Amino acid sequence: MNEFFGTIYDTLFGIFNNLYFLIFQHLYDNGGYIKLGLSFILIPLVCWLLFYYLWKYPYGKIWHWLIWMTVTVFIVFCATYGIANTEILGSDNQALNEAIADASTGYGDYAATLPLKYAMANSLLALIIGFIYSLIMKQFSKIQLHLPF
Amino acid sequence: MSRKLYIFAIGGTGSRVLKALTMLFASGVKIGSDFETVIPIIIDPDTSNGDLNRTKDILRLYQEIRNQVDQPDDFYTQEIKTINEITVNTPVVNPDYFQFKLKDTDTNTFNQYIGFDSLSEDIAEKDDKNFVRLLYSAQNLRSNLDVGFKGNPNMGSIILNQFTNSEDFKRFGQTFDDDDAIFIVNSIFGGTGAAGFPLLLKNFRGNKNIPRHAKIKEAPIGGITYLPYFSLSKNDEINAESFEEKAKIAIDYYNRTIISLNQINMLYFIGNRGNTNQEEYAVGGQEQKNKAHFLELAGALAVLDFCKNINSITRTTQIKEFGIEHDAQNLTFTDLNIENAKQLSAPLTKFKLYTEYLGKGLSGSLNISRWTKSNIKLTPGNKQSLLDKNYFNSAEYKTQIRSFNSYFDEWIKEMKDNRPGFSPFEEITADNALEIVKGQTPKGNKSFKAVDIQNCLLTDNISIRNKEKKHTMLIKIFGRSTDKVLSNRNLLIR
Repeated sequence: MNEFFGTIYDTLFGIFNNLYFLIFQHLYDNGGYIKLGLSFILIPLVCWLLFYYLWKYPYGKIWHWLIWMTVTVFIVFCATYGIANTEILGSDNQALNEAIADASTGYGDYAATLPLKYAMANSLLALIIGFIYSLIMKQFSKIQLHLPF
Repeated sequence: MSRKLYIFAIGGTGSRVLKALTMLFASGVKIGSDFETVIPIIIDPDTSNGDLNRTKDILRLYQEIRNQVDQPDDFYTQEIKTINEITVNTPVVNPDYFQFKLKDTDTNTFNQYIGFDSLSEDIAEKDDKNFVRLLYSAQNLRSNLDVGFKGNPNMGSIILNQFTNSEDFKRFGQTFDDDDAIFIVNSIFGGTGAAGFPLLLKNFRGNKNIPRHAKIKEAPIGGITYLPYFSLSKNDEINAESFEEKAKIAIDYYNRTIISLNQINMLYFIGNRGNTNQEEYAVGGQEQKNKAHFLELAGALAVLDFCKNINSITRTTQIKEFGIEHDAQNLTFTDLNIENAKQLSAPLTKFKLYTEYLGKGLSGSLNISRWTKSNIKLTPGNKQSLLDKNYFNSAEYKTQIRSFNSYFDEWIKEMKDNRPGFSPFEEITADNALEIVKGQTPKGNKSFKAVDIQNCLLTDNISIRNKEKKHTMLIKIFGRSTDKVLSNRNLLIR
């Protein structure tokens, strides 16, 4: 799973940078990619489960669905930002911490940009997967069957 | 052949009781005791009578709606047919067949009808004219028959006598089977009803010329006789002050000729002495359109009681009266005895919520809520609603469902405005719809939202879907959703 999610971020989104290898090695070794990956899968899953099966509102319109999607993406964004921040800047990896602390390495500046990059990548992924969830879940929904269309 | 109940509704009161009974049937009440079909037969010479025509129209709409519901199991469960439909086995709805026709009453005056002018007036020989004058006033003789008998049973007894020789009556006999039963509704203080009731009974029990006479003679017969329960805004040709006196005389006659001779198995009496309910004066015709009254609903309950107890009736006439628990000017379900409250509360409240929803709630959900949408993308046909915009704009919905519901709401309103009033429901809006039952405030959201939720949950249910019979889904979905919503909030007396 680490491999799979790592590939998505590193290759698909091109976040990987060999100059700051320590960061990516740390994420890989500590299951950081799994946490980041699960956040764009599980958070939308829970959100859309709530939308389609627990939200008993019979007057749902497309803008309800759009708001829900926005909220879901926002939650994923925040969660991802928090996870990435904790994993990279709050880690107990001594070598990584020293590299970040040493301004001449450029690790600190680079690391500071990563949570936002991961958050953006996960937001996009949450948008896509949320849409797919919608199309699947609506088939079994009794009340929101008509959303998004 | 299914077991049938023939209801002979005589005069204006008969029509109004039939209307109340039809409203109960629409609400989901069934007569039980294995009776599958109700055959209403209206006997009224006043063919333009407002009450009569309103009832015929209601019966027509009931049939038209029911014919478009596949296996109704809640609202509109009870089958209603005309004798014509049974004899010629046709699905065509023609409300004229609910009324038995009387010959020569459309254009004649009473004296023309009885051939008064051709009678002898020779005192020395055969003085028939003066003999007739002893029985009928000059006003009686001048009366046009197309507006009924204007409260004169002595005229009615002559005219209605022809009825048993009619083709309609013969067809009634031809369709009468083992286990079928008869119920007669009449008022004792008017003209048509007071005269028609003993005549009908006499023929059922003794006329050997009716086809299947032997079966009819032994058939269970019940009847409800209305004692005065309204007065009129003025006294003229029909004098309301004479209602009570006429009722006493007629009861005495019934007692001697019907009750003592056990001609009827069950006879219900109902009335409201000292009533303050006043109807607009009208001798008949279109103008006679009395407001619906709670006692007519009670009369409909008598029909149900008769059917319920039909297997335990005796040859000796049983007399029953109707009573309520609490005497009030505005009756609610809790003022009735518990058995009647149970009979009426659930069906009427459910149907009222359904009509209110279609009147006040539908606009908020049409083409928005899933249960009203049929164009949902990437969704199979069996999950698309059949109750879409096209359905609610269809001629069938507008001319049948909406018209019937409007009659129902009018009926409820008239009962509320009458004295004593029957007003178990509150005026509601879309926001407080679930405060519909007087004196009951349910917790939580009170809007129609709960109904819409239930409708959404039921939309996929295969047992309520039918494309051929257009009203199936509407009638069945609301039968179920209103039940669930009202039961969950303990708003029904069961």
